[in-house]
Amino acid sequence: MNEMGSDVFGLETKGFSRRDFIKVCTTAAAAVGLPAWAGEKMAENVAKGRKPSVIWLHFQECTGCTESLLRTSHPDVAALILDLISVDYHETLFAAAGRQIEEALEKALHENEGKFVLVVEGAIPEKDGGIYCQVGGKKAIDTLHAVAAKAGAIIAIGSCASWGGVPSAAPNPTGATGVPQLLKGKTVVTLPGCPANPYNLLGTVLQFATFGTLPALDDLGRPKFAYGRVIHEDCQRRPHFDAGRFAQSFGDEGHRNGWCLYKLGCKGPQTHANCSLLDFCEVPGAWPVAIGHPCVGCTEQGIGFNVPIYTNLPIEKPTAPMAYPAVHPDHNVLGRGNGAIAIGVGSAIAGAVVGAGVMATRKLSSETEKDQGKE
Amino acid sequence: MSAHGHPKAIGGQLLGPSMVKLLALFALAAAVMLYRFVVGVGPVSNMTDGFTWGIWEPLNVVVFTGIGAGAFSVGLLTYAFNKGQYHGLVRPAVLVGAIAYTLGASSIVVALGRYWNAYWLPWVPYWNLSSALLEVAVCVIAYVTVLWVEVMPSVLEGAAASKHPRWAAIGKRWGPKLAKAMPFIIALAIVLPSMHQSSLGGLMLIAETKVHPLWHTALLPTLFLVSCLSMGFGAVVALVTILKLAWNGEHDQKLLAQLSKVNAGLLFFYVALRLGDIAWSGKLRYLGANFYTGLFLVEMALFLAPAILFLVPRVQANRGRLFGAALLAVLAGAAYRMDTYLSVYRPAGFDANGNAIPAGWQYFPSLGETIVTVGMAAVGVAIFIVVSRLFPVVVVDERSQHSKLERGAMKTAASR
Amino acid sequence: MAISRRDLLKGAAVAGAATALAGRAEAREAVAPLPESVGMLFDATRCVGCRACVTKCKEVNELPYDRTPDGQYDAPNDLNGTTKNIIKAYAGGEQQTYMKQQCMHCLDPSCVSVCMMGALHKEAQGKRLMKGERPIATGIVLWDKDLCVGCRYCQIGCAFNVPKFEWDDAFPKIVKCELCRHRADPKKEGPLAVANPACCEVCPRQAVVYGKRADVLAEAKRRVAAEPERYAAKVFGEHDGGGTQVLYLAPKGVEFSALGLPVLPERSSAELSEKVSHAPYLHGITPIALYAGLAFVIKRNKKKEEAAEHGREGKR
Repeated sequence: MNEMGSDVFGLETKGFSRRDFIKVCTTAAAAVGLPAWAGEKMAENVAKGRKPSVIWLHFQECTGCTESLLRTSHPDVAALILDLISVDYHETLFAAAGRQIEEALEKALHENEGKFVLVVEGAIPEKDGGIYCQVGGKKAIDTLHAVAAKAGAIIAIGSCASWGGVPSAAPNPTGATGVPQLLKGKTVVTLPGCPANPYNLLGTVLQFATFGTLPALDDLGRPKFAYGRVIHEDCQRRPHFDAGRFAQSFGDEGHRNGWCLYKLGCKGPQTHANCSLLDFCEVPGAWPVAIGHPCVGCTEQGIGFNVPIYTNLPIEKPTAPMAYPAVHPDHNVLGRGNGAIAIGVGSAIAGAVVGAGVMATRKLSSETEKDQGKE
Repeated sequence: MSAHGHPKAIGGQLLGPSMVKLLALFALAAAVMLYRFVVGVGPVSNMTDGFTWGIWEPLNVVVFTGIGAGAFSVGLLTYAFNKGQYHGLVRPAVLVGAIAYTLGASSIVVALGRYWNAYWLPWVPYWNLSSALLEVAVCVIAYVTVLWVEVMPSVLEGAAASKHPRWAAIGKRWGPKLAKAMPFIIALAIVLPSMHQSSLGGLMLIAETKVHPLWHTALLPTLFLVSCLSMGFGAVVALVTILKLAWNGEHDQKLLAQLSKVNAGLLFFYVALRLGDIAWSGKLRYLGANFYTGLFLVEMALFLAPAILFLVPRVQANRGRLFGAALLAVLAGAAYRMDTYLSVYRPAGFDANGNAIPAGWQYFPSLGETIVTVGMAAVGVAIFIVVSRLFPVVVVDERSQHSKLERGAMKTAASR
Repeated sequence: MAISRRDLLKGAAVAGAATALAGRAEAREAVAPLPESVGMLFDATRCVGCRACVTKCKEVNELPYDRTPDGQYDAPNDLNGTTKNIIKAYAGGEQQTYMKQQCMHCLDPSCVSVCMMGALHKEAQGKRLMKGERPIATGIVLWDKDLCVGCRYCQIGCAFNVPKFEWDDAFPKIVKCELCRHRADPKKEGPLAVANPACCEVCPRQAVVYGKRADVLAEAKRRVAAEPERYAAKVFGEHDGGGTQVLYLAPKGVEFSALGLPVLPERSSAELSEKVSHAPYLHGITPIALYAGLAFVIKRNKKKEEAAEHGREGKR
């Protein structure tokens, strides 16, 4: 097999084949809704050394999004991700620190101006001039504006960067704000989630690197391929919902049997995400609803960290796999059985009765007239 | 006052070819009914939860008894208003009434889902007097009995004239006794139908959202009572004409014309009542270019046409034309009844403009329902023929021999 | 003499019609809600269309699952002989509105008014106490299988098209919601001792709640008053058709008629029907008087006629 040369993290030592590599790219392509050949093209571009340059900024966050990115189980994660994209600035992953790393940022900004992808992880505090989050003596809000001005594309990963997330939860003491709210007028791809599914990031970045385009976005900047539907629509427990089988409390018969968690406060019906379709870090069943806990709505602004976890919500976009009967449903009774024959025979008899009356009257009246004429 | 002849048994062959045909039709109906008792009402009918009565109730009960109301209308005229000249019409009319009501009542048993519980009906403490149907049911059961009692004089007379000594003894013994009790029975035979015929209209009062506003009115009972009388008179005229043709029954054109004049009054009264009610209750706005207006106009035309015809001398003088007009009068009442119960009945009701709200139910009688209705009508005719042949019901015109006698009647005439 | 008698009779016959015209000879009071009456409140703004109530209803009432004519399992599309409760959808408006349909348990039910022997009756107010019936006037409309003849007049009368018939059964029943009175727990107090509708128990959104009619009516009014921008102003069933024990709330901008509820006057149909039908009877006086009068006249007429015939042709 044609082993792929790699300068980062020694892929060769792990025996990573070109074939595996294309597979990863194809998976990433599929995640953004691109055909398989797009994955191959991505792989080609990466092999040619045209890796997208990524600058990753951390603000008010827990680093959960980065951690989950590093924990995709297959393909062998960190290495791959770091091979697919050229991370030129990342506070968590970089060995360097202090002035050194700040220089790296400056360097990356100049080298790839207008081309690099800016990934923001974490919310940005606005209160009191943004003093509550500073890195290297610079306020988060200033860094963001400075870097964003030179970025080719901006991606906000996780709910914190997308709309504020945990730091913005009431009473929001620091005035934590999401990236789109600060960069008004700029296209910001938001990948909300706590943490966000790494494949959604991978797909988006690779599409940008390969084609220079961004996936189709909704009005909140969320890629439609991942956030176009609510979790409820594709939920693995959906048949239980449709059959009216609800877990009433944790540990009850319904809960143990895997019934719908709606009554326990599941936010799936209002939460836009592809959790129910795309395994998290490729671990099957590694998301709340699968493990028996209602969805907390982490991706959805106004729900995650805002609505109490066990509060029940109305259902948005109540599409159903089966049709509901209309208020006055068609019972289609004449369509069954001998409809046409019955109508024919019935009409014929009614016609015959009336016809016989008419004929008898005519005949009788003319006869009587004749008789009367004779008399 | 014309001297009326005495009724005679027609005699003749009981099981003629036409009788075989009638019985075959009934046999077909009986088979369907039997099947219904095995599998339920659904499989043999197109009745649904939306059109739950199909045609069995509106046609077999409401229209049949309307035709059978000849006994009521002629009885009312003859006995209560003391018009003795109509006496000759009473026995055939009563027989038709007895048969029509019996068939109506037995059709209902076929339509009833839980017929085995019907034995409670005579149990007075369970009567729900608010129910128009209970009134109809109890009244019809009573009236069927009364009608057959009214038929009994013919039977007893026939028995008295029989050669069989025991049979004759029964006839001679009970005939006069029954004759004495007759006024009380006849009075019952007038009160009962006026009660249940109006209740047949009252039945639909409850369905105020479901019956089209042009038909639904507090006058439903009155309109049904009037229409049953007009149907009854029409049916009697038609019956006498048919009897004349079939068996050379006595046929007094002047008498029938006179009867029809009464009927014309009833028909006009009905139309006036109906139109007046619609105008008075502000329902004229429902009239427009739609199905219901069309149906309403057809109905009105059906009522007005015979009413006018009955007053035209050319019609009065012509047996055929009078017959046709009389049939129209029957058809008018039948149409009104069928419309009220079925044609303008919509399960989901009507919107403010009188347009039906589509309810998803459609109805047209199934083959099974049609067969049962036709079979019931056929057996009714058959019973009439059998009874008339065996017992003195029909007054035969002995003065003139009509050229077009049915074979049976010819034989009778020959054997006489 | 004879003429005046005749006129009298004619007068009597016309009087029958005339009283029908007037239609108010007999006072028939509107029916007030019973103090102990129970009911439900369905809030269409809360229902999410999960149909838990449909499933549970089938389960606790031991109703079979529906099948298509060719025998496959199918969801019911309307109330029917095997479905006492159904969720339907109205697609108009901003988003789909769900509608729950079951017996309304009217205060003055048409079905009870027309039922020949009181097979359908309000609990403890029928012609007799059927087996298992308690002497509590809950206002629940019950069906007594031993008094029903299957005439289906209730189906004609019910403006909500609720009572259903088992068409494909040789021994059919009338099927309709009885508010799960068989699930009542006599050990409990209050409404739960009277009935315990399973639909209310399983509803994940409390879109349908059970309680005394007075309480659920108050709750309905409270909701409308608290969120007038959310609800249609009217509580359906408070007065409609004489009032019902099952009440409905609709989202603002959605007509109750669009949800399949008929437009009814405040007076019940039963009131109209009974008033008009009873009026000419004058508590039974009319038919008896008519009968007596007729019998008398007919007898006189007959005697006269016989006398005339006697004179003409001699004894018969």
